[in-house]
Amino acid sequence: MSIKFLKRLLPDYLEYLSAGGWIILSLAVCSAIAVMCWPIPHREGLQFWIFSYSHETLYVGKVEEWNRDRQPQVNMSLLSNEALQQRMLASFLTDTPAADLIEVERNFVPQVFTGPIEDVGFVDLTDRLHEEGIYEQINEPSFGPWTSRGRIFGLPHDVHPVMLAYRADVFEEAGIDIESVQTWDEFAQVVLPLVGDRNGDTIPDYVISMWATGSFRDQLEALILQAGGALFDEHEQMHINTEVNAHVIATLVSWMVGPNRIAVDAGEFSAQGNKMRLDGRVLVAMMPDWLCGVWQLDMPGLEGKIKLMPLPAWEPGGRRTSVWGGTMLGMAKMSEDQENAWTFAKHLYLSEELAEGLYRSNYIISPVKSYWDRPFYDEPSDYFSGQAPGRLFINLAPDVPVRTSSPFNTFAKDRVSNAMFLLKEYALKNQVYDREDLMDEARRLLADAEKLVRRQVEENVFLRSQQ
Amino acid sequence: MNSGYPKWTPYVLISPFVVIFAVFMVYPMLYSVVLAVQQTFGPKTSTFVGLQNFKYLLTDPMFWKAVRNTFVFAAGSVFIQLPLSLGLAMLLNHEKVRGRVFFRMIFFSPSLVGTVFIAIMFGLMFDREGLVNVTFYQLIPGYPAEFPWLERFVMGSLIIAAMWQFTGFNMIYFLAALQNVSKDLSEAAMVDGAGPWPRFLNVTIPAIKPVASFVVLLSLIGSFQLFELAFVLLNNSGGPDDQGLTVVMYLYQNGFISGRLGKASAIGWMLAVLLMVFAVIQHRVAKASEN
Repeated sequence: MSIKFLKRLLPDYLEYLSAGGWIILSLAVCSAIAVMCWPIPHREGLQFWIFSYSHETLYVGKVEEWNRDRQPQVNMSLLSNEALQQRMLASFLTDTPAADLIEVERNFVPQVFTGPIEDVGFVDLTDRLHEEGIYEQINEPSFGPWTSRGRIFGLPHDVHPVMLAYRADVFEEAGIDIESVQTWDEFAQVVLPLVGDRNGDTIPDYVISMWATGSFRDQLEALILQAGGALFDEHEQMHINTEVNAHVIATLVSWMVGPNRIAVDAGEFSAQGNKMRLDGRVLVAMMPDWLCGVWQLDMPGLEGKIKLMPLPAWEPGGRRTSVWGGTMLGMAKMSEDQENAWTFAKHLYLSEELAEGLYRSNYIISPVKSYWDRPFYDEPSDYFSGQAPGRLFINLAPDVPVRTSSPFNTFAKDRVSNAMFLLKEYALKNQVYDREDLMDEARRLLADAEKLVRRQVEENVFLRSQQ
Repeated sequence: MNSGYPKWTPYVLISPFVVIFAVFMVYPMLYSVVLAVQQTFGPKTSTFVGLQNFKYLLTDPMFWKAVRNTFVFAAGSVFIQLPLSLGLAMLLNHEKVRGRVFFRMIFFSPSLVGTVFIAIMFGLMFDREGLVNVTFYQLIPGYPAEFPWLERFVMGSLIIAAMWQFTGFNMIYFLAALQNVSKDLSEAAMVDGAGPWPRFLNVTIPAIKPVASFVVLLSLIGSFQLFELAFVLLNNSGGPDDQGLTVVMYLYQNGFISGRLGKASAIGWMLAVLLMVFAVIQHRVAKASEN
């Protein structure tokens, strides 16, 4: 049989395309049908998203315990912080399914609160917390970052008080009793003799890790809060251009420039910063409880050389701690099983096992106040030269300042941090190094920052209509 | 002439492209116009605000800072990077240069490296204790040991990183154009007593002008879309005092970090208008010089 004979047997329309064309078309049609018919796997049980590897290790036991004894099963997934943020926001903003329970870091939560309160993707927990007496069990300031327009949307994971970590070996060798220091002004004077080329590389070495760039914006916020200042108050009203805030940024800039410079850029989570700490090129750093575990893991070489002390106050008798960082557990509104999700959230976050695990693995203090008298918080740590960091942090926990959850807080932090950077540049350009001489410029820069943030706040029609 | 196919055959044949183009290009573009006149909290919650997003941007210091930074970067690309590319191309086009193929590969190779990797690499080099400071400190007496490149010289650092990445890439375009320059013309000019500089101005430049104007346009468009390099080099931010904030980065911050798709769409349209203006100017300048 010839090909011509075969062609004659086929219908005419087959000639519209070549053989190759028909093959491509058939493949396209088949694959389209296959994609349409492909079953979307049904997600069994409760989905639980977390962003921290160390949390995953801690939670595995509690999740297994739940899955052994109860229903529905909990499926825990570890996502990168950015991926979790993007998927959570995409889900909340489009009403598409996400996880039932989501653990979120503080810097990523305010975006959830930008819209109308009824559109917040997390379940409002306020009534449950009060009715079940959980609100009273937990350290009150810990609810701050997860509260918007008076409603609470997350179960707090931590307290995160801040202390000062210092190289005890170097200070002892220099004969400086830093523990007796009461205020930041005293601190700046006392540590000055340590500034200089300490390691013989002809490059001067400074004392405290603090700088005027974006990576230090959380430390800046912590110091502003410690001083009694704020960017937004508990009613989410803006307070950027204030005397307290100007005083703080002018003081910090006076540490970074001029003949009395004591500060250096040794950012956390950076190889350069860690090397500077290990080499003794920076001796002091602000230390929230969660950072203790990070240091111990990243810089074991500092074991026995570090000690903790309360932050020096901004004025005699003032607050000796602050707060930095934070995590919450929230229930997604799209969850089809909110009751079981809530039961699991309590099973995990309010358990003593987790409190102990958090402390033992990361030195993190539980926000559940009734656990604060547990003996594991009194155990001495070799890393911190025999001190008991748990007890030291707990002693300061009640003084932790309240934070805002304003959706503009991250932007405001950026702008205030930028004001500090510009103040540093001003100081260098005009050779003005004294705090009092920097105050006028600090006020002017903070006024500019406030104007910029206010524009954004006022532009938001959703919040405007609800205030 | 009857081809034997029904009249609708061409429409069927181009329909896959038309459908995909309509769904993924035309619809989003038209929808972005709708979004630009709305204030949004994601795609679900929105309210009509008219031209408020555009008005806001016109008086927004951060937007204009981003525009200025983007222009500076574009100027750096056009006035520093492209002359360098042309210079390298001329060198490699010279018959007396040995190992031209090898050098061509070496100069071109940075453009094969991922932008994110380049940003990380230059971030480490411009670090306070990075290669640049360590080298200068050893070589230049009185050089400040820890000069903060990524605080004081943000745009310069970005231009240098982009220069490393794209100079070799643009060089290839120029090299191809130079290889088509008629040798007869150049030799005739030489016989008439023209030196190297007049020959370059009056023979080479006119001959490579079409390619050069294409490269300039490509470089401008690429510069206006600058994002990954700055984003990674400056740790997901615009850097100190927003010195490295670009228009696309500002768009990203608004649209994908804050969920303000309306404002992000307005930024996108303003960028599109800016690009169109540049394309028209560039086209007219090229046409005028041809005439």
